[in-house]
Amino acid sequence: MPDAAITSRPEWLMSGNVALCPCGCIGKRSKGSFLEKTLRGASDPLRQTMFSEDVARQPGILQQADPRAKLIGMIVLLVAAGLVHNSLSLAVMYVATLGLAAGSRLSLGFLIKRVWLFVPIFTAIVVLPATLSIVTKGDIVLQLWTWHGEPQGFTRQGLLTALLVVSRVAVSISLVVLLTITTPWTKLLAALRSVGVPRFFVLIIGMAYRYIFLLLETVTEMYESRTSRTVGAVRHDKAARSFVGASAGALLGKANHLSEEVHQAMVARGYRGNARVIDEQRLRRTDLVFISVAILSAAAIVVGDRFLGR
Amino acid sequence: MHIPDGYLSPSTCAVGYAVAIPFWSLAARKVSKVVRTRNVPMLAVFSALCFLIMMFNVPIPDGTTAHAVGGVVVAICLGPWAAVIAVSVALLFQALLFGDGGVLSYGVNVVNMAIILPFVGLGVYRLIAGRTPLTGRRRVLAAAVGGYVGINFAALAAAIEFGIQPDLFTSSSGVPLYSPYHLSQTIPAMALPHLTIAGLCEAVLSAGVIAYLQRADVRRLVPNHPGIPVHEGDVEVAPGRLSPARVAIGFMTVAVLLTPLGLLAPGGAFGEDAPADLDLGPLGLHTVPAGLEKYNGFWSHAVLGGYGFSNGDHANLAYILSAVVGIIVVGAAIFLIASIVRLVLSRRQGVGQETDEDIAHA
Repeated sequence: MPDAAITSRPEWLMSGNVALCPCGCIGKRSKGSFLEKTLRGASDPLRQTMFSEDVARQPGILQQADPRAKLIGMIVLLVAAGLVHNSLSLAVMYVATLGLAAGSRLSLGFLIKRVWLFVPIFTAIVVLPATLSIVTKGDIVLQLWTWHGEPQGFTRQGLLTALLVVSRVAVSISLVVLLTITTPWTKLLAALRSVGVPRFFVLIIGMAYRYIFLLLETVTEMYESRTSRTVGAVRHDKAARSFVGASAGALLGKANHLSEEVHQAMVARGYRGNARVIDEQRLRRTDLVFISVAILSAAAIVVGDRFLGR
Repeated sequence: MHIPDGYLSPSTCAVGYAVAIPFWSLAARKVSKVVRTRNVPMLAVFSALCFLIMMFNVPIPDGTTAHAVGGVVVAICLGPWAAVIAVSVALLFQALLFGDGGVLSYGVNVVNMAIILPFVGLGVYRLIAGRTPLTGRRRVLAAAVGGYVGINFAALAAAIEFGIQPDLFTSSSGVPLYSPYHLSQTIPAMALPHLTIAGLCEAVLSAGVIAYLQRADVRRLVPNHPGIPVHEGDVEVAPGRLSPARVAIGFMTVAVLLTPLGLLAPGGAFGEDAPADLDLGPLGLHTVPAGLEKYNGFWSHAVLGGYGFSNGDHANLAYILSAVVGIIVVGAAIFLIASIVRLVLSRRQGVGQETDEDIAHA
């Protein structure tokens, strides 16, 4: 037993617990509260962010473009996606985003999953009632039931609207994901500065980004310390509510304290209200080409959409 | 409540930015005026805090989730302008990192959650708390109601933004281009979960934080409550007066929030459009009274007659335009009247002070 020889931990700590039947036939399975689940799931954003920093370092079309050029291109294309009236134009745009992802050596499966699992399923649920004749009146395509002698069901207009909204949301999210996943966060911030976001805000955004993870850790620790002191099942009563309020309040106090310390540290290092950046970036010719391509394709999509009819 | 891209037309998103940008610049100016360098880390930390609060989604039976925003708490502790910045930054993270809320619709989301929510919530909090001491029980209740009302107003605003889409933007074949639901559907759909679950979350959060700070760290409430005594027996400082600008802005905010309700109301009131519309039968009258007939339409030079353009085109757009014009005009009138009242009051007080000084000298 080489492990036991190295460690001086007691044997009982190293041995596993007697496993309860996972099907729940022995003992009682606890479902856990939403609070617990949220805290456990809170490490996901961290993992996602780490992942995007990795992707941003890979060689590819989008990774090579200047963040400012990408940001401007994305906004132009987002507006174009908002202006078109036809699902076909949106489908063309969606295929183009997939092409860009492939050119940037992103896994297509990842992009499709990220876009289609997260929000558009939520969107689809939201727009589903709009496909029925009770919300959107029109020509009934598929009759489901009758109401006072009137046939009710999916309408052509409703289905078209749903298709339009879902595809527009999918294109918009794909564009945002493409930008954020191929750009390191620090460079994205510098890009925000160049589209006119004041320095004051950029500075706050950059700092807040770092504190999210710190505060997340604090919350998790607070919750863990509470549960480690709790004997018996967690009840959802007045004490639980006051715990949530008190931990939020304590977090507020900690945050305030932290901000005072950070302020002192910043002033000690010479901060006088002006943020300075080390690397000033210049737009290269390829970036101008990138922006022009984005503007031209946005224009082409909008004009093409007009030809398709409204 | 986060509106993703694709639900709102680009023009609605542009209006969102047009409303948000002046608020941002005012907030930046107001907040950095207090203490220059200190605010940067403070706002950064509070933005991160708001982001975390918004991550705590509570499942709602219909398949979506509701969440507290925390904007009212930040407004109570740091002031409404700090809350504008803190919540805006948190919303930007959500839009860029997690696709929660869009980039084009960011301005609209900011208007709902970073502007309407903290201002309305803080207003209600101040109204209920009045001048009670900082450690009083009434402040906890005030924070709860403030949080509840604030988040519900934000949800109402989101519902209105969704609900006007099918009226304003449809293709030639009558297919709605953006959010397909009308106001009569969006308002109940948003109100139900927010009146029950999300409103309760925000209320519990706001009240809990204020109750905790009262118990453990009441100092943190002092800077944003000038002139309010901490404990029951403390001396109260003279209350600050309502400035004309505040009265006018307060009125305009309420008016803007209530305006779209007019789109829902059917029919006219008391035959305001034409006396012939009046139901005179139950009154025992068979014709419109002569005086009413004569003086109706006495003034025929209205700029936006019937809350619309003269040719009757774009009825809903014209209604909203009329509302904007009306609100600005009435807001300016209130500002003028309040200014005059203040001038008269300060003159009268000035006279009173002089006499007091005279007496002291004598």
